[in-house]
Amino acid sequence: MRDSLKLPDAPLVPRAGLTTDRLMGIVNGQIVSRLIVLIGAVLFLLPLFWMIVTSLKPVTEISVFPPTVLPQAWKWSNYTEAFRAIPFARYFANSSIIAVCSTIGAVLSNFLIAYGFSRIQWRGRDTVFMVVLATIFIPFPVTMIPLVVVFSKLHWINTYLPLIVPSFFGNAFFIFLLRQFLMQLPMELSEAARIDGASELQVMRQIILPLAKPALTVVAIFSFINAWNDFLGPLLYLQDERLYTLAIGLQAFRSTHDVQITLLMAASTLAVLPIIVLFLIFQRSFIDGITTGTLK
Amino acid sequence: MSQRPVRFMLLTLSLSLSSLAAAQTEVTFWNTSTDPIDLKGYARIVDSFNKANPDVKVKMVQVVGAETDSAKLMSAVAGGTGPDVYLLDRFTVAERASSGLLTNLDSYVKADAGLSAKYLPFAWKETQFKGSTYALPFDTDVRMLYYRKDMLKAAGVDLAQFDPKNGPISSKRIMEIVSKVNKTDGTGAYTQVGFIPWYGQGWHYTWGYAYGGKFADATGCQVTPTDAGVTAGFQFLADASKALDPQKAQAFLSTYAAPTNPPAQDPFITGKMALEVTGDWMIANIKEYAPNMQWGVTYIPTPDGKKVSWSGGWSAVIPKGAKNVDGAYKFIKYMTGEAGQSIYVKDTKHFPTYKSLLSVNSLYGPDQQFERALLPSSLSRPNLPVGALYWDELTRAQNTVVLGQGDPASALATAKSRVQSRLNRFCR
Amino acid sequence: MSLQERKNMLLGLTFISPWIVGLLAFILYPLASSAYYSFTDFSGFGAANWIGWDNYTRMFDDPIFAKSVYNTLYYTLLAVPIGVVMALVLALAMNQRLREVALYRAAFYLPSVLPIFALSFVFLFLMNPRYGLFNYVLGLFHVAPINWLGDPKWSKFSIVLLAQLGAGQYALIFLASIKAIPQTLYEAVELDGGNGWHKFWYITLPLITPIILYDVMIGLGSGLQILTPAYILTNGGPVDSTLFYVYYLYKNAFSFGDMGYASALSWLLFIVSVVLAVLVFRTSNRWVNYEANG
Repeated sequence: MRDSLKLPDAPLVPRAGLTTDRLMGIVNGQIVSRLIVLIGAVLFLLPLFWMIVTSLKPVTEISVFPPTVLPQAWKWSNYTEAFRAIPFARYFANSSIIAVCSTIGAVLSNFLIAYGFSRIQWRGRDTVFMVVLATIFIPFPVTMIPLVVVFSKLHWINTYLPLIVPSFFGNAFFIFLLRQFLMQLPMELSEAARIDGASELQVMRQIILPLAKPALTVVAIFSFINAWNDFLGPLLYLQDERLYTLAIGLQAFRSTHDVQITLLMAASTLAVLPIIVLFLIFQRSFIDGITTGTLK
Repeated sequence: MSQRPVRFMLLTLSLSLSSLAAAQTEVTFWNTSTDPIDLKGYARIVDSFNKANPDVKVKMVQVVGAETDSAKLMSAVAGGTGPDVYLLDRFTVAERASSGLLTNLDSYVKADAGLSAKYLPFAWKETQFKGSTYALPFDTDVRMLYYRKDMLKAAGVDLAQFDPKNGPISSKRIMEIVSKVNKTDGTGAYTQVGFIPWYGQGWHYTWGYAYGGKFADATGCQVTPTDAGVTAGFQFLADASKALDPQKAQAFLSTYAAPTNPPAQDPFITGKMALEVTGDWMIANIKEYAPNMQWGVTYIPTPDGKKVSWSGGWSAVIPKGAKNVDGAYKFIKYMTGEAGQSIYVKDTKHFPTYKSLLSVNSLYGPDQQFERALLPSSLSRPNLPVGALYWDELTRAQNTVVLGQGDPASALATAKSRVQSRLNRFCR
Repeated sequence: MSLQERKNMLLGLTFISPWIVGLLAFILYPLASSAYYSFTDFSGFGAANWIGWDNYTRMFDDPIFAKSVYNTLYYTLLAVPIGVVMALVLALAMNQRLREVALYRAAFYLPSVLPIFALSFVFLFLMNPRYGLFNYVLGLFHVAPINWLGDPKWSKFSIVLLAQLGAGQYALIFLASIKAIPQTLYEAVELDGGNGWHKFWYITLPLITPIILYDVMIGLGSGLQILTPAYILTNGGPVDSTLFYVYYLYKNAFSFGDMGYASALSWLLFIVSVVLAVLVFRTSNRWVNYEANG
């Protein structure tokens, strides 16, 4: 495996100074890559742009076809109307509770489990791991009803337990992800610490955990967002309107023969704002862990 | 102890015991509606019922996610946490009943003499399965042809033929009449179209019924999509599609009428289509999104001048495993009875299935008179335990035909064989 | 087993014990009950009568089943490679040494967190045959407009394109993986006179192969189970060209009251997926580098 890291035989190029040519090369490279990335970013931002623009239009402007790019009349009141149409603040709080708790569970449990599948050599490990992989391929429609039956028997229906507790028992996607990450770290790291007399827990906490930060941040972000946007879970397990989440609340704007699209877009924008903020905060934290040249 | 305190104690004891016996029971009512106006109507019904019946307290819970699949209901009932009362699309009653999901209401209904006669016949029909009643009809709707006076006038089409007083326009001529409205651009793609009969509520049932077809036999054990009338209805669609060019019509629909376009962008409302077959709910949409539109309604075009329409609507059911069946029946009887339906109709502008309410003028606005007159003769879809599958297969056949990829006879024969094989399971 | 091996096994099992409990509690029962129902005529509620292999043999006579299999395999074969490449490209874009890179990262990741119906409205418009951006761009190259979602030939590809809006989340994973590569390796390449391409081909790519495997497997799983876009955008059309396997399964389970058949369909999918996954996983040792294996 190490061989793939061998570089091609290349003559040693004399280190040139910072000539004008070189400078132009750097600047051009920067401009070109910036341009490409910018175009891509604009394309990916189109959906949010569309959401916001639609959310600010008056209802009668929606029936203009082809749609106008910018609202002709800026109806900011759509936001206050959407906020009042459903118990927004309560749904927001409910979604937050569920998302935070299940994220904690996800990070804790999946790290431990993935550790067991990657940092310890034990017989049958990879075969058992195949079972984890297999569970990724279970189609959800047939597990829906049996799961509701299980939770009913436990009397967990109409509580947040079915939405939070399972995250403390691992999730195949996250186990797989973390396992792949942890397999990227050389075994010598763990072995050296073990020889020095460290217990496995100490190895895990002091050696592996800091290096796994980028991966754990990804798991935390994904877990939070999955819980935040989860519609099916709350739909099946919650029956009291006071417990409903934002994802369910958003459905209130869609009925059989109509969609209050301006309010729906306003509510959706409000619902997605915290995620954006959270993302901007957290993505810095794992970027700060980039100085991993310290693998010696 | 003297006699008086003892008697007093006995009195208070018996009073408290009897109040225990007459204690309030609760009924959980799951409402899948999300329309704010409809919800207000339901809330009013619940309120007035609770006031009139102090021994039963109905609690309404809004649950989202309706349409034809009731995943949430099925899971909840399977887990024993289902509601006492549920709103079910009437069309799916037979199907859910055959699955064993609904409580048989015969014992209550038989004790209530003459109940079935109080409802519109097509609505009552949909509540039946294997001779038993599984639901009580609630509201209903009706379908007709909407036409845009402004677009037709601009194209030079004579508006008088659209006046309902002249009866339905002939389906043999409708496509030709409105072809003047069709406009294409330089590449030949439609920018405006007179009529696309299979759009909106122009489903298989619409045209099958318009041509006098029957979709199932009287026994409910044979589906008959290959019936002459149904085939003729599909042939009408095939001819209309050919007149428009199937690819071009499809491109038009993809451009102006994508499946998930919000109703505000319905091509009839945005002025791209002059005619549309759809239901009475369109009136509210027009009022909201295009209040200045000049439009009218008339009968669905038929080949022989007959006035035809069909209706859907909701019903109240008691799912299996309901904890308070007596209380539940009391409530649904009220809700679907005169009291409940009149509240609902007044608030929401939907139409009742309670026959006598159709003649109460105060419940209807001036723009509802046409529908009101149309309702008593409206049809409903056959109540089969394979209703959803049948609909799916008919839609498949319809798509095949309108895209020019098959002829009506063979498409319908395919639908028939697929559905009949499933239906046979229920008719042994 | 030696004492050390036994110790290691106990240790390993202890670490994965939460997963074992979860498996028994939340997965095995649903799996077992759906396996049982696949041999019955269960409607989803009430009695379940044993009918043996009928549900399975029925599949062979079911042309809609066949169509859904074709659609799903076609989609998966397209979506997985395109998805991996797209995620990699985005990850490299997210990795640029630009001051405002945080904004670019947020931009690329954003569509993955938007509610699907918000995305679908936008996408529907981008793909509008007349007014959409896609056909506008095609027009600039003098290519005839395509009816993206309305033409059976293009509908599956259009959904693959829509799925790429969600590539941001996989890109994020690649990014985290790329960030874990020691800078010293890149410096060594520079010292030997290598350029950006060398850095990518000889350092980055080999070292992120574990994550590429992850993306391929997850892509395989989500491709074979694709449902939501068909459910929301196309209702399986036009002419069943986007009627995917799980969509057909879902209809049988919750619309047609045919839970027995739906259970059989899911077990077939499950078994086939697992076989494919094991194949991919087993052959992955040839191209995946795990540092932990030395």
